[in-house]
Amino acid sequence: MKLDGPTLVSELPLTLSTQVYEPVVVTDDDADSTMPASLRNWLVQLRLLNGVPFANLVPDTELLPEESIRWFYLDRRWTDALVQGALSVGTVNSDDRTLLTAQYDAIRAELDQEERNVRRPAGSPRYGGTVDAVSGFILRSQAVAGWPGLHVRAFNVDPAEGDTARYPEDDPRRMRLLRLDRLAPAVLFCLFDGIPTVVHIEEPRQGVQFGFDATGEGTDLTATLRPRDKTTFDYLPGDPIDVPFRSAEGASGVVDIQALQAKFADHPETGAVDGLDPAEYALQLIRFPWRQVFGDPQSTPVPQVFQPVVQYAELVGTFRVDR
Amino acid sequence: MTVGEGQFFLYSYLTPALKAGHYRFTTSQQLSATASDGSALDATDLSVSGLQTHLDVTAPRYQLPPDQVLSTYPPANSEGSYGSRLPQIVMKRRTLPWERDAGTGDDKMPWLALVVIAEGEAELVLNRPVAECVTPGVHLDGAPDVPQGSYLSVRKSVIDKIFPTQKDVPLLVHAREVDITDTEMMMGDDDGFLAVVIANRLPVPGRDPAGDEVPVKYLACLVNLEGQIPALLPEAPAAKLSTILPLIEVEYQPIKVAEYDHIKMGNDPAYQKTRISADVAAPLAGAVAKVSAAKVSPDPVAIGQTRADQWDLAGAKSAESVYVEMAAPFGRIADVSAGRFDRTYRFPVLIHWSFTSTGETTFQTLMEDLDNGLLGTLPGIRPFGDNADDPDRTPQQLDGRPPLEIVETGHVGLGQRTRLGDQVRCWYRGPLLAHPADTEAPRLPLAHASDQLRIVVPDGREDLSLGVAFEIGRLLALSSPAVVTSLMSWRQNGYQVARLGTVWSGLVGELGAFLGADFAIAGDLGVRFGRGLAKAVTSSPNDVLGGPRELLTPGNPLPVKGLPLDLVIDGYGLAAAKVPRGDLLSALESLRVTPVPRLPLTGLAAGALTTTVRDELGGVLDVTLTHLTKGALAPALELNPVLGPTAADWKPAARPHRDALDEILDSGAKEDES
Repeated sequence: MKLDGPTLVSELPLTLSTQVYEPVVVTDDDADSTMPASLRNWLVQLRLLNGVPFANLVPDTELLPEESIRWFYLDRRWTDALVQGALSVGTVNSDDRTLLTAQYDAIRAELDQEERNVRRPAGSPRYGGTVDAVSGFILRSQAVAGWPGLHVRAFNVDPAEGDTARYPEDDPRRMRLLRLDRLAPAVLFCLFDGIPTVVHIEEPRQGVQFGFDATGEGTDLTATLRPRDKTTFDYLPGDPIDVPFRSAEGASGVVDIQALQAKFADHPETGAVDGLDPAEYALQLIRFPWRQVFGDPQSTPVPQVFQPVVQYAELVGTFRVDR
Repeated sequence: MTVGEGQFFLYSYLTPALKAGHYRFTTSQQLSATASDGSALDATDLSVSGLQTHLDVTAPRYQLPPDQVLSTYPPANSEGSYGSRLPQIVMKRRTLPWERDAGTGDDKMPWLALVVIAEGEAELVLNRPVAECVTPGVHLDGAPDVPQGSYLSVRKSVIDKIFPTQKDVPLLVHAREVDITDTEMMMGDDDGFLAVVIANRLPVPGRDPAGDEVPVKYLACLVNLEGQIPALLPEAPAAKLSTILPLIEVEYQPIKVAEYDHIKMGNDPAYQKTRISADVAAPLAGAVAKVSAAKVSPDPVAIGQTRADQWDLAGAKSAESVYVEMAAPFGRIADVSAGRFDRTYRFPVLIHWSFTSTGETTFQTLMEDLDNGLLGTLPGIRPFGDNADDPDRTPQQLDGRPPLEIVETGHVGLGQRTRLGDQVRCWYRGPLLAHPADTEAPRLPLAHASDQLRIVVPDGREDLSLGVAFEIGRLLALSSPAVVTSLMSWRQNGYQVARLGTVWSGLVGELGAFLGADFAIAGDLGVRFGRGLAKAVTSSPNDVLGGPRELLTPGNPLPVKGLPLDLVIDGYGLAAAKVPRGDLLSALESLRVTPVPRLPLTGLAAGALTTTVRDELGGVLDVTLTHLTKGALAPALELNPVLGPTAADWKPAARPHRDALDEILDSGAKEDES
């Protein structure tokens, strides 16, 4: 048996570099693959540009003026270089680097696949395959600061239902978001898994607003409201209702709800005949959130998006107490 | 029943099982049994003492915890066209509006109402003891949730005008169930059930006498109505189908952009006075009030600054200071001829925020007016069109800076200081491209240092994009100790195993010849080898390592030639005194009497002293110099005694550096010249 120490050490890098690592198909967020799970999860976040200083994303303010939206494609070479920089930490000698080189292709393949699973809803199956092209937008607007919780939807085709339709979460035409974050109070950053054809940005739903159609003439302001059917949520035929206000001087803008209720009572479908209850009142007052459609040459002015349902159940059973 | 995406349910009320307050559980147990003799045992024989437990059900009363607020509309501290929308607040705790008894005994009567007041209609007082926060005479049972609260001081006449009536209060509060998977994570509600309180007043903008819109600041207060429901009107007075917009007289004061800057930053007293006076004179909505307010000339730059200022508010200031700031204009009641029969009520305010109703800024207008384009589109001047494809669109030139250097690939020219300190221009492009990425191209090969990714483009400049990406990644990894630990432990575990396997893989075949084909190398082979070696060494240390070193060694002998006394005599220069050798006493005696040779220096003039020293030392120097020169030249002279040393013989390398001898030689030469 021959054991030549110096030869062995000098040939070690060559031997190491001939090793081939196969990417592991990750089946669990916490399972180690070619690399430890904690490191993989961090690198996936890094791939989606988490933590990258804003000046490195947008090098000049003129590229993102106030009240603007800017669309972009993601540069894979840039994010690859980002990951390579992170992996370079602690590579002390050529052995380390040789082995990293041998492993790198497997690492990158795993990251390609795992970055699709970052925003996967809990409990749903893992996505396979790799992200092909990534695109996105940066929105800098007062709307981001004033309406936290904007909804963003992207489609790979222009949906045939039109701009006002509702789309379920698992609609095959919907593209998934890889990242949706507010980088600053007024800056929204979004990455899509693919290149969308149509993007919807919608007012937040929790902030559903209540109000009227108001018109000001001179020093007076009048408001109208179209009553709705309380079960189908459709507008009732006929003229809109004029909203009554209190007549006292100094009570500008104060709505006379009792008088409004009396007016609703003329329309039995509103449910106001037997007295308006709070849910019915809210149902009449709901104003639809605005949905801005990007990518579609023809946008519809007032989208009707929601189907609220009046619910008379008092409370779920866990709270019920017999008196 | 679950809520589908895009749907929500409205509930008229979600009453809690128990309202807030102190409760006492009384438990009693009654047993009955039959004794062995068949007689019935009565309750006294089987008495079980009752158990009394106390229970507190808590709910906010004077202050709403900020984490209970999901959203407010209109957004706090914002400006916009809210004239057709009713303000509202959404709270996470669904039963909150029904958790206290409003005083009517009706379970479905909420104890909360959202009132919207304009400046001068009511006074908001912050941070008072909770005992002062309700109308004197009204007593709220139970412990307060906070020591200090805020209250709204408002006159009965104003209550009649703007507060909801007793019948309105329940209609303005409802609960809502939304689909939690359909919302953005930043909102963070846990169960999708929300309580909503709507105001009864439209925050209409004002009008000046000329009929133009004037911004009006409103304050929205979530007030506690406990025990004070009777203060509200039972029925609304007569209604009419329009409402009069508040008439506000405004004196416009045209200012320039530079002055606007001073006002915003508050650094010039003259401009500050303008601003202060605008704050002091509170306009009374509905009545004519003279206001001296600064009006900004409609300049695009100034408008931009207003927006930038608004954005700062959300992030920069602490929540406390924002609350105080929002309450500031509502600190006084406009002095109307109210009369003293107009009673003043106090309502605890759980949360308040202010906003300004003006203009036509809505979500819709904001989105429709967005400057829409691919990254790299420069802001355009509006008159030339918002469309990025418009050929007439010219890039907007900002004052005081050179035009942005941007090329079609998305690269931006930036100043760079090289490692040598030169100021040059380089190209940089972030990860966001203005054109589709080439997904067919091979991926970036692995680099081990950022310098490997620096590219020089044909115009001679460097493209630092990928090098910067590498460095950012490296620094981000280094900034997170957990990641560094993870990387290092990965290397230590994974890499060492790989290295070990590689080393042994070449030897396995040969070892197999000894050990048979089916042997396996244990992972701790190296450790076992090490232990075996240590064991062998320690079992017979003398064979392997040799004996231990002696504690004391004699040391090196001194090089002494001749007798010690002779050395002493020679050393002191006594040989000339004929001291007998071998006699210590006579040697010491003669050493004592022998005078030390010295130069008579005293009594000489300064010049003579120098001359004497030079003469004395000069002779010695000459002799030494001659000896040294001769020694240095000797080999060359021996080689060529006739002509002396040639240039070839003279080796400058023989004098690599100047030493003391060089100094002597030089000084000697100078002396000769002088």
